[in-house]
Amino acid sequence: MKNKKYTEVDASLALYLFQKKSKKRIVQFFTIVLILGLCFTIVYPIVGLVPTVLSAMEDLGNPNVIWIPEEFSTVSFKAAVRLVMPQGIWTMLGSILYSVGIMLLQLFFSAMVGYSLARVKFWGRGLVFGMVILVFLLPRQSLLLAQYISFVHFDVLGIMNLFTAAGEVNLINNPIVLVLLAVFGFGVSQSLFIFLFSQFFKNIPKELEEASLMDGCGFYRTYFRIMLPNAVPIISTVAILSFVWNYGDTYYTNYFNPDGNYMSTLLSSTFIQANKDTILRSLTTWYDVPSVTDMAFDAVKQAGVLVFLIPLLIVYLIGQRKLVENMENSGLVG
Amino acid sequence: MNKKGKKIPYQTMRKIHGLVFVSPFLIGFVAFFLVPLVNTVYYSLNKVGVGDQGGMTFEWSGIQNYIDLFQTEVTTGSEPMMRLFTEENSTVLLSLPLIVIFSLFMALLANQNFKGRAIVRLLFFLPIILGLDVVMDMLTITTGSAEGLDSGSSLLAGSYVTIFLVRTLNVPMRVLYPIMNYVENIFELISQAGVQTLVYLTALQSISPSLYEVAKIEGATAYETFWKVTIPSIMNITFFVVVYTIVDLFLKSSIAEEAYSFAFTQGKIGVGSALSVVYIFNVILVLAIAALLLRKAVKKNEK
Repeated sequence: MKNKKYTEVDASLALYLFQKKSKKRIVQFFTIVLILGLCFTIVYPIVGLVPTVLSAMEDLGNPNVIWIPEEFSTVSFKAAVRLVMPQGIWTMLGSILYSVGIMLLQLFFSAMVGYSLARVKFWGRGLVFGMVILVFLLPRQSLLLAQYISFVHFDVLGIMNLFTAAGEVNLINNPIVLVLLAVFGFGVSQSLFIFLFSQFFKNIPKELEEASLMDGCGFYRTYFRIMLPNAVPIISTVAILSFVWNYGDTYYTNYFNPDGNYMSTLLSSTFIQANKDTILRSLTTWYDVPSVTDMAFDAVKQAGVLVFLIPLLIVYLIGQRKLVENMENSGLVG
Repeated sequence: MNKKGKKIPYQTMRKIHGLVFVSPFLIGFVAFFLVPLVNTVYYSLNKVGVGDQGGMTFEWSGIQNYIDLFQTEVTTGSEPMMRLFTEENSTVLLSLPLIVIFSLFMALLANQNFKGRAIVRLLFFLPIILGLDVVMDMLTITTGSAEGLDSGSSLLAGSYVTIFLVRTLNVPMRVLYPIMNYVENIFELISQAGVQTLVYLTALQSISPSLYEVAKIEGATAYETFWKVTIPSIMNITFFVVVYTIVDLFLKSSIAEEAYSFAFTQGKIGVGSALSVVYIFNVILVLAIAALLLRKAVKKNEK
């Protein structure tokens, strides 16, 4: 039927349709090229590491090697694992455990604050909401000194007098600081999480809450039995972001618990320029490599990054689709 | 339940429960924000020393710390303080529009319908992970570079594309260098646009399809539809994206290291605090300017 119509229409319309179609094709072509280009740009820095990381130390800098190393070797990985994971796989598991723990704390306490801000008209709600925004806006670094000093001389209203002679405890290098920060709403990006939770809870229908109250659920039961199960989308979004940011965080861990074995801090403190010669020397002694160049340092460093990224990539691959879907229900928009 | 005020009325009880829920944050706000903030200002106006029995001693010095900060003190890279601030601010102001536009652009692309969209989206949000400071720091090559090129700090400088351009096509370095820098910045830009792209994509998907339908029926071109439908619909979320980007960019600043070095390496807590106070004002100023400019744009689009 379509063909029949084509024969009937005059030539100019056919030309118009052809133009329109080819224009659409061209636009499509350019869109695809752009998308491919962007994907390449994003992936290249990681994929580009593979040949460096997998080739033998002697091969590094060999101009013949572009993508496929002449000789595969896992020395870089072994060295990286040895350098940044002093307790082997336990260092990584410890880091993951730490991030999951902090993530759970952040989720629990941010959701509570967010719910209350969104649904309860308590006294001074606007003020508290303003505080959350203020904390979000001011960069955390600006308060580092005073926070640090307050942790060095940690004392809550003289309570510490009961426990210690000095009336204060030094909490620096004590992981409890990181727990305290997460509990009281000041962990990594936590004000953002509180904001996201409150935006989400604002959009949950009122009837849901009222029905549960009618049925005799108290405030806490309503929250834990009705509201939280309905908040799964935002919980998973925040969980992914919180896990990724805590696992990759070097700020809190570095300043408040510098001796802790966190993958992120170990990675950034091991591969500093000043350590280059030491690392190169240990490479030669550990793996019997006759000559190492500066490139070996980079190769080991990048092997370290790849190892570091493994848990993040797994979480990302599992959670990415949910992340996009859930953001739609997050209430941030509209 | 509400007999003669014996029991607390339901609404009051609810408010109390609400306060209980926000109390952790309130405690944290006082302990980790308000007190440190007041202390920072206080330290910055004093000469802070260490007393005989531990503890800290304070000697009022007015704005001397601030004068010292900009006149005599230098950064860890032994540069004047003023330079640190100008560099930081110019980075933020230059990257801000690029990141915002770029994330919108990526969201627009990811929002298209095509085969393999799932994979493209998977890759597009990878920057949420790759943009972590640790990863970014580690990815840059610090030592060693391909022969002939000695820009040591770049990932692409040694890539085969560059070598190919220089060797085979004889493209002069003078031309290639700015382009190379630009290309490198693209990765840096993308790496900081992960969350923003996600937010924009969400915003784009929440625009009602009927709006587009109407535009189509009225005979609007794609260009017109973009400016008259898409942009006004995402103006509010742009406000959020801009603020988020500014905050995020300032978070990456090296000011923490400087303040830390002043306070605990050089023992000048006062000067370090003065630096922090100046920094707070700096951030507030930039945010305020951005908010003012954007509010005009948002209002204009709402009309």
